[in-house]
Amino acid sequence: MSTDSVSAATDAIVRRARERFEASWHHVCVATDGFFAKLMFGQWIFGILVALTFSPYGWEGKVRNVHLHVWIAVVLGGVIASLPILLALKRPGWVVTRHVIAAGQMLASGLLIHLSGGRIETHFHVFGSFGFLAFYRDWRVLVTASAVTAIDHLIRGIAWPESVYGILGPESWRVLEHVFWVLFAAIGLAVSCLRSLGEMRLIAERGAEIEALAEGEWRKSSVVDRVGMEATA
Amino acid sequence: MRLDRLGGNWAWLAIALWAAALGGGFAILWRYEITPGAGGGPGGRWPAESSIVRPPGRPVLLMFAHPQCVCTRASLAELGRLKDRLEGRLAVIVVFLRPADADEAWDRSDLVARVAAMPGVTAVRDLDGREAARFGAATSGHALVYDAQGALLFSGGLTAARGREGEAPGARRIAALLTTGRADGTASPVFGCALRHGEAVEGDVLDGGLKGKSR
Repeated sequence: MSTDSVSAATDAIVRRARERFEASWHHVCVATDGFFAKLMFGQWIFGILVALTFSPYGWEGKVRNVHLHVWIAVVLGGVIASLPILLALKRPGWVVTRHVIAAGQMLASGLLIHLSGGRIETHFHVFGSFGFLAFYRDWRVLVTASAVTAIDHLIRGIAWPESVYGILGPESWRVLEHVFWVLFAAIGLAVSCLRSLGEMRLIAERGAEIEALAEGEWRKSSVVDRVGMEATA
Repeated sequence: MRLDRLGGNWAWLAIALWAAALGGGFAILWRYEITPGAGGGPGGRWPAESSIVRPPGRPVLLMFAHPQCVCTRASLAELGRLKDRLEGRLAVIVVFLRPADADEAWDRSDLVARVAAMPGVTAVRDLDGREAARFGAATSGHALVYDAQGALLFSGGLTAARGREGEAPGARRIAALLTTGRADGTASPVFGCALRHGEAVEGDVLDGGLKGKSR
């Protein structure tokens, strides 16, 4: 076999390995988009239930009205979920879809924290969301999620510092502690994503090599069969 | 309708609209959280016509509360922390609104139960908000601190935003006043439901300044 034919065969294997890897990752992303479409819808309903449980009414003396949180849960919660669901259904596997989903997921966390009256337990939703976003095996999605959380605090800190009082105030060390743990989780998951992609690449390469070997064997057997048939004819 | 008929860029247009809608929605939510209730107008001394008995010999904190107001959960949580921090230097009375025609279910709230479970805290009913009117409190969560002679030391809220627990200027100022005798003049708006119908005037911020024995 000449050097050129070996090189061509290697290029074909590399190309096929890349195709197999991209198809495999696309399949993972499409499946994860579908998962998040369902999750987003579920979170929307859950947010409404949280609002109805924690703050169903606002009061003025003995007069009660539906609390603003309920409307916020219905309308804002619906808006948060709408585009991620739409893109997951119409553009599954598109790289922008998963970044929109990451942003929407973190905003859903923020809204749930608001609706539950800032309960510390609701903050665990943020960590759960990071774990789910790692299903994409794309570390950049985790960067988007972290950035949305940071921008949320930044805008509020500038426009309405009262709403993040304690962040700018004497408890700022506590926020840094929260940021540290978020980064701790995000970095760990990002490393896991990179390792997972590395394993997927390896599997794709192995698959491409097996395909090439099988194709070579098939060609060889075809030639032998043809020669045998010609000899008997 | 097939979205692709709108052209290849429909997704980007949708993302732009989505971001704008989210910005508006969260702005409404944040604005609501940091908009205080009506400030009321407490006088400089414990009202003589009040039927609430002032505990003798030590400062007293009065908090006016609407038993159904969800924002007041955070105010009561902060009240509990403040009380623990001051370790008996302060008598605490929570005055729950009770409209004259309210049914029995009115008093069955988690806030009333929470106060009942707080040791050393007295809960009293305020029939038709008469005491709130005497003390000049208009918003649930409004705290008033009087010294042992009945002079007003502090008027304001204990939370930094609506329903938000955590470090807030009001609780910090009360603690400073009672431990060091001094406190800064930062405003302490009250975040909570209106105690009377028609009093939920947005932007009527309590001055929160030290009253009476200002130091």
